[in-house]
Amino acid sequence: MATASRAARSNASSLKRVNKTMNMSRGGFRQSVHLGVLAAWLGLVAYGCVVMWSASLSIPEVSFSRHLLGIGLGFAAALVIWNTDLRNLQNISTALLVIDIVLVFLPNVPGLSHNANGMTGWIRIPIIGLTYQPVELVKLVTIFFISSLAAQYNGRIDTVRDYIKLCGMLFIPFACVIIQGDLGSGLVVFFSGAVVIMMSGAKKEWVLSTLAIMIGLVSLILATDSIIDGVLGDSNSLIKDYQMNRLLVFIDPESSTSEEGYNLQQALIAVGSGGFLGKGIGNATQSSSGFLPEAQTDFVFALTSETFGFLGAVVLLALFALLMLSSVRVAVKNENLFMRLACVGIVGMWMFQIFENIGMCIGLMPITGIPLPFISFGSSSMITQCCAVGIVQSIWRFRQKSA
Amino acid sequence: MDAQLIVVLAGIVLMVVIVGSVLFMRGYSGKFTFDTADGTRPRASEGDGNTTGVAFKGRFTMLTAGVVAMFGALVAKLWSMQMVSSDYYDTLSEQNQTRTVTTPAPRGRILDRNGVALVTNRASLAVTAYRDVADDPVLVRHVANVLGMPYVAALRNIQDNTEGAQARHTIATDVRRSTIAYIQEHAGVFAGLYVDERTERQYPYGTLAAHVLGYTGTVTQGQLAAQEEAASSLDEGAITYTSGDTVGQAGVEYEYESVLQGIKGEQTVTVDAFGNVMSEAGAVPASAGSDIRLTLDLAIQQACESGLNHAIESAKQQGMVNAGAGACICLDCTTGEVLGMASAPTFDPSVFIGGISNDDWEALNGEDSGNPMLNRAISGQYMSASTIKSLTSLAALEYGIYSSTRTTVCTGWWTGNGEENGQACWLETGHGTQNLQGGIAHSCDPVFYDIGHDFYYNPDNPEGMQEMFRRWGLGSPTGIDLPSEGEGRVPDAAWKERYFSDWSSEDRSWNPGDMTNLAIGQGDILVTPIQMATVYAGIAMGGKELTPHVFYSAVSRTGEGDAYRYNETGTKERLTAKINSDADLALVKAGLHDVIYVTSTDTARHFSSLPVEVAGKSGTGEKTGEDNYAWFCAYAPADDPKYVVTAVLEQGGGGSDTALIAVRDVLGHIYNSPDTYTSYESGVR
Repeated sequence: MATASRAARSNASSLKRVNKTMNMSRGGFRQSVHLGVLAAWLGLVAYGCVVMWSASLSIPEVSFSRHLLGIGLGFAAALVIWNTDLRNLQNISTALLVIDIVLVFLPNVPGLSHNANGMTGWIRIPIIGLTYQPVELVKLVTIFFISSLAAQYNGRIDTVRDYIKLCGMLFIPFACVIIQGDLGSGLVVFFSGAVVIMMSGAKKEWVLSTLAIMIGLVSLILATDSIIDGVLGDSNSLIKDYQMNRLLVFIDPESSTSEEGYNLQQALIAVGSGGFLGKGIGNATQSSSGFLPEAQTDFVFALTSETFGFLGAVVLLALFALLMLSSVRVAVKNENLFMRLACVGIVGMWMFQIFENIGMCIGLMPITGIPLPFISFGSSSMITQCCAVGIVQSIWRFRQKSA
Repeated sequence: MDAQLIVVLAGIVLMVVIVGSVLFMRGYSGKFTFDTADGTRPRASEGDGNTTGVAFKGRFTMLTAGVVAMFGALVAKLWSMQMVSSDYYDTLSEQNQTRTVTTPAPRGRILDRNGVALVTNRASLAVTAYRDVADDPVLVRHVANVLGMPYVAALRNIQDNTEGAQARHTIATDVRRSTIAYIQEHAGVFAGLYVDERTERQYPYGTLAAHVLGYTGTVTQGQLAAQEEAASSLDEGAITYTSGDTVGQAGVEYEYESVLQGIKGEQTVTVDAFGNVMSEAGAVPASAGSDIRLTLDLAIQQACESGLNHAIESAKQQGMVNAGAGACICLDCTTGEVLGMASAPTFDPSVFIGGISNDDWEALNGEDSGNPMLNRAISGQYMSASTIKSLTSLAALEYGIYSSTRTTVCTGWWTGNGEENGQACWLETGHGTQNLQGGIAHSCDPVFYDIGHDFYYNPDNPEGMQEMFRRWGLGSPTGIDLPSEGEGRVPDAAWKERYFSDWSSEDRSWNPGDMTNLAIGQGDILVTPIQMATVYAGIAMGGKELTPHVFYSAVSRTGEGDAYRYNETGTKERLTAKINSDADLALVKAGLHDVIYVTSTDTARHFSSLPVEVAGKSGTGEKTGEDNYAWFCAYAPADDPKYVVTAVLEQGGGGSDTALIAVRDVLGHIYNSPDTYTSYESGVR
């Protein structure tokens, strides 16, 4: 690897062919595919298959073949992306923003929107009839969009104006997703974008100040709500009760009588009763008897740890850790700032989704509807997450400075 | 909302910390001054190691640290939940999916003293189903058709949760065998249906002894609430009832509920989140309640009831159109056992099986129902009338008010309390000169007016008569083992003062008339038939009264024999009334003998056909606006008493004319010597 990069620097044009030959001949596979990321990815997908297969035994909503179809499509998409050099995306930041916004509002387009069973945010692609959640793709596009903007500053943002401008740019897709009513995905977009901005060289003081301002705003809103509620005697004035419940239920799940409180309590019971080795496939009573709602999507981690116990949960977390740490490694080894930031953004996305989804099941985080990457049932998430892996592999493959 | 407040406070604290650290960092970096023209940070400061490369390395370290910290937090929390608190969550998970439902236990039977079943259990086949069968309208329709009931009724029964949400719900009981066979043959069509064997109360003798036996019904909200209240003081083994349980509501069924009630079985089922039963787990079978033997003798009970009805019919024939209610009791005075206890009108306890309809309830409790559910033998409170004269005599003799040799001249009108307060003897023509024994025998009122009058003006014992009544147990319950026993009333000056508290003090003062009335058992005195039967048992036994009871024994669960007897020995002493001298009692007994054989040839003819001698006393209570209340108390054999029979008829006329009939019929049955004389015109009261 070191030889290859030195060679590339000395004589780019002539060595390009040599490079290719080297890739083919000795250790070439390792040059174009990062094994850590690959292993973690395949492990996670396989793990997800086992979980979904066990879920399909008792939960009628789960179709194992549809899960496999999602994996197939995801693999195909990942393969295509892996073969694509994404560095050129840096130059089309405006187009990325436009694509982002179009994707967000795609479910509002008549003829495309698909709102079955009270779900929103879905589209049905005409002719082939496949349904998809565009907001999943928005996560990836936003990462590229913010990375392309942040990469302009060569790793150090010097003026507050630039910093505020970047934050403002991130606010646009975030606000669009929130307007569509998907707080969970909005937070994913926000968090991954924030990671990109921090990594692109924003000063600590600014980041901390931003954080302080946001916390202050949230506190202010909550406090105002309390006061207004007190004055009006109506607890549904500024923030509706159910929204507040959802936000606060994880602080004391057992005392809450709301539906969220019940769901969380059932999730906690599922996780806790799994014990060290779990109850085994088919014996996970919490999820198979319907006590645990959304066991195949939002609360899939509870299903997993009830079935496979602490051991299974740690194996799952280890696979996620391998995926993320390997991806950080990919970013470190890349010299291209834009690619680096994009890779870091994807790590940020996983970080938030995994921490939020698992944290919600074990009472560390408030309840939001975010799928667990590679494990949750649902093709939209599976395809998008496979794309993310494809992106990381592509970043690894095209890591040389020459292009 | 407290949680909201906590979040707000936490947010404010966090914000202050961050702002503080930013300011601190500012101040720290502010110590450096750059040696440039305007003092700002130089654009290119590669030299101080702050290259992009080095800066990036630090940021990646931060990112990696963040990822590691995140996984650390998740694993730590998982460890605490799955390794440390796993048992706690396991219990919750177990509770989530198991429910315990109870299966009913058959009640014990109720037998008479010879082992004849008076209340028994009837097997009844019930078609039941779990609640989720209601989701299958085709199946429900099929079931409804086969059982011959409306679809809606079948659906409602399946959905009714009173038996417990996870228990099998009864669709129909008493289903015919042929229908059951049809359902079982077509198990495929009727999947989800169960045939359960139930037991229901059955009364082989219909209304016989209905007041003693009582009836069963669904446990009431009041009873459940009372149980809740007493829960803290209940011992471990006590039976706890849940909504829908069948419990005794009156009579022996109520009094001996804890013996009759079996121990419910338990069935553990696993359920899903919607309460649907997934499978059945362990079961503890129900164990039946104990059988009870009563002191009642079927034949004597029947004699009491038929005798009472005979007396009522006769009373009606004699013109007492309002006759119809009354009571008749037969006691064994040597043990206190109740051999027969009848109350009229009566009711059919089987109407309570499976819940009583509103119409039936109205018929039993409505304004015009005549209160058939009231057990008049123990709850009916009447003036004692002349039957009290035995005790009045004992009091008079003991306190020296009226000696055995004193006489009173009866002219039919007694003016001892002054001309304006003159009182009549029941015999308007008068009895002539009477001593005390004759006064008892002829029930001559002026003799007792004299006693009442003299007690009233006696400075030492103005209430000696009341003391005597109470000494023999009047004014307090006998303690019979049946619910809702009346306690009666022995009026005295203090009582009158208290009872008529809104009257003027002059009107409510105890006056001589009150005392003379009391001496002949009229006025404010109240007694229950069981009290009078117990008093006459005491007279027969020389003052010893045994507590009347209907419980003979609880039958052993295993095989024959008794698990335990009433009060362990079979008898319980209620009280022993002190007798002043045997001569006093002998005089009274002689009077009671004369009542039967001397006073009236009519009465004598009724009883002389019996193989044993009888002693007794009639009574006729006068109540304003109503026909007279007929009483008759007797014991036999007179020389060695065993049986005490008491009868009272509401508005039944003269005691010797009507109540006597019931007593004679019962004694006739006991001694296998039916009454051959058919005239009831003695006229003696």
